[in-house]
Amino acid sequence: MNLLNGFGMDTITMAGTLEAKLAAMKQAGFSQVMLMARDLVTHPGGVPAAVKAVRDSGLRPTGFQVLRDFEGLSDHLHDYKVDIAKSMLQMCAATGSKVLLACSSTSRHASDDLDHIARDLKKLAMLAVPFGINIAYEALSWGRTVNEFPTSWDVVCRADCPNLGIGLDSFHIFAANTPLDAIEDLDPNKIFLVQLSDFMWHETPTFEERMTTARTFRVFPGEGVHSEALADLVLRLEHIGYRGDYSFEVFNDDYQQLPLETVAERARKSAMWLHEDVLHRAMPLPDWTTTHLR
Amino acid sequence: MTLKPAHREAIPEMPNRLGIEGIEFIEYATSRPQALGQVLENMGFKPVARHRSREVTLYRQGGMNLVVNASPDDARVSGSHDGQPVISAVAFRVRDALKAHSRCLELGAWTVQSHAQAMELHIPAIHGPGSSRFYFVDRWQEFSIYDIDFKPIPTVDQHPAAIAYMNYFGVVQYIGAGRSADWLAYYEHMFDFSFVPDDQRFGILPKGKLMKSPCGQFLWQLIEPDPWMDADESPECLQRIGLGATDVGAAVKALKERGVEFVESTQLHPEDRGALTRSALGSVSFELVHQDNAKA
Repeated sequence: MNLLNGFGMDTITMAGTLEAKLAAMKQAGFSQVMLMARDLVTHPGGVPAAVKAVRDSGLRPTGFQVLRDFEGLSDHLHDYKVDIAKSMLQMCAATGSKVLLACSSTSRHASDDLDHIARDLKKLAMLAVPFGINIAYEALSWGRTVNEFPTSWDVVCRADCPNLGIGLDSFHIFAANTPLDAIEDLDPNKIFLVQLSDFMWHETPTFEERMTTARTFRVFPGEGVHSEALADLVLRLEHIGYRGDYSFEVFNDDYQQLPLETVAERARKSAMWLHEDVLHRAMPLPDWTTTHLR
Repeated sequence: MTLKPAHREAIPEMPNRLGIEGIEFIEYATSRPQALGQVLENMGFKPVARHRSREVTLYRQGGMNLVVNASPDDARVSGSHDGQPVISAVAFRVRDALKAHSRCLELGAWTVQSHAQAMELHIPAIHGPGSSRFYFVDRWQEFSIYDIDFKPIPTVDQHPAAIAYMNYFGVVQYIGAGRSADWLAYYEHMFDFSFVPDDQRFGILPKGKLMKSPCGQFLWQLIEPDPWMDADESPECLQRIGLGATDVGAAVKALKERGVEFVESTQLHPEDRGALTRSALGSVSFELVHQDNAKA
């Protein structure tokens, strides 16, 4: 058993080629990777070569990101987004990812009617059924209508569809100052992804500040000023029975110009902090206890 | 005061928003049409017509239409199953094919591009599990769709009777581990199939989850791999066809006389409730299921 099991990095954190990112993650001891569509389409060998690189790496895809501004649209805008969603689903399936991340809409052209939003997300989930893909719907802290996880959970409940759940992102929870008590209301089996990151400011009151910070200056769990709250969040998720993946969604301009090994090492330290200091997870059993079972 | 009877019991009405009225045809794709044809003929199906432009043959017995598609583009899907024939499509009879197709797309189905040639019928379709498709056919009462795309095989009876009054009873779909909830939701949302409680089962292979079509004419069975089948990551597919018969014993006897072999083990063997034919060509088997009111 690998101590880092259940934790993974996002390709967005590092610079370099997809192969180099995957190799650095693997070398640091990670066994899974959160993929970004851009990693596939910008690969010099095209999408098939990128898919092959992912499969050859042996890393399990945590999920695939990101479908933006999908829900709440009408007519030609809706049709256009459905087409985009279909292409994303096809790429997601090609990589073997079982989760597609869909972020709440920021578009002022989108409806704020939660039933309309739920209906569109159900359609997205139905499109995903033949591929065996789950949709993780995440509340962006600058989303127009849905910007906190209790609202994304409300929408998911309205849609009532087995392969539609929520994605949680600690950054957005802290940026929007969402009380963590609402975690108790979630069904752990409908949390399809948890993305973790922190940042260095205590307050991000405006959408603009949230966006800038989210896109340039996130840090790994344990490195920012919300470590206590992040530990609290993870423990609450464990408490309600969440046993899924944690992925480090760390957009950081500094990390983009550091050697990949250095960044991956920071991620490893972060995972160890969560594993040992926060979750107090048990050490794996020594090999001899399991070998006789084989 | 009114003399109109009030609704004294809360009997839910089964919605049937596509107007599904049974199965029009089931299609196999194969690169070995002759070998499959032989298996089908043993089962009582007769070749009655050939497609005008493609290597497609229509087989029939009683009310059951079965299409064997060996057209190279379509037969290719069987290549991903070690060259074994695969159930590549199920066509539903619906009230209005275009409306049914549009509604499914609105709900999140993937459309299938038509490859109809000039003067051929364009049958709207959506993608099903694995490489399969679902077609929507609305012209099944006034005239036959086969009159347009198919030429009858001369001297052959176009309406051969079914052995022991067999008819389409249902389809068995193999699904991935933990996927029952997804597919149950999909079929309920898309086709208004309804869930059949676990204590209601038919035939001798009761595993998995069962759904009923809104017209009540056929069943849909979803089977996950067993928990101990860790390595079973085979693609999802339409696995076999269920045939309903009022007298399973008589059907088994008649089919045995035609050379059909049945699975006969201590756990699984022909009995009054049902029977399973031995798999032919690696993948083709039929399940017989006892039915009280089989249609002639």
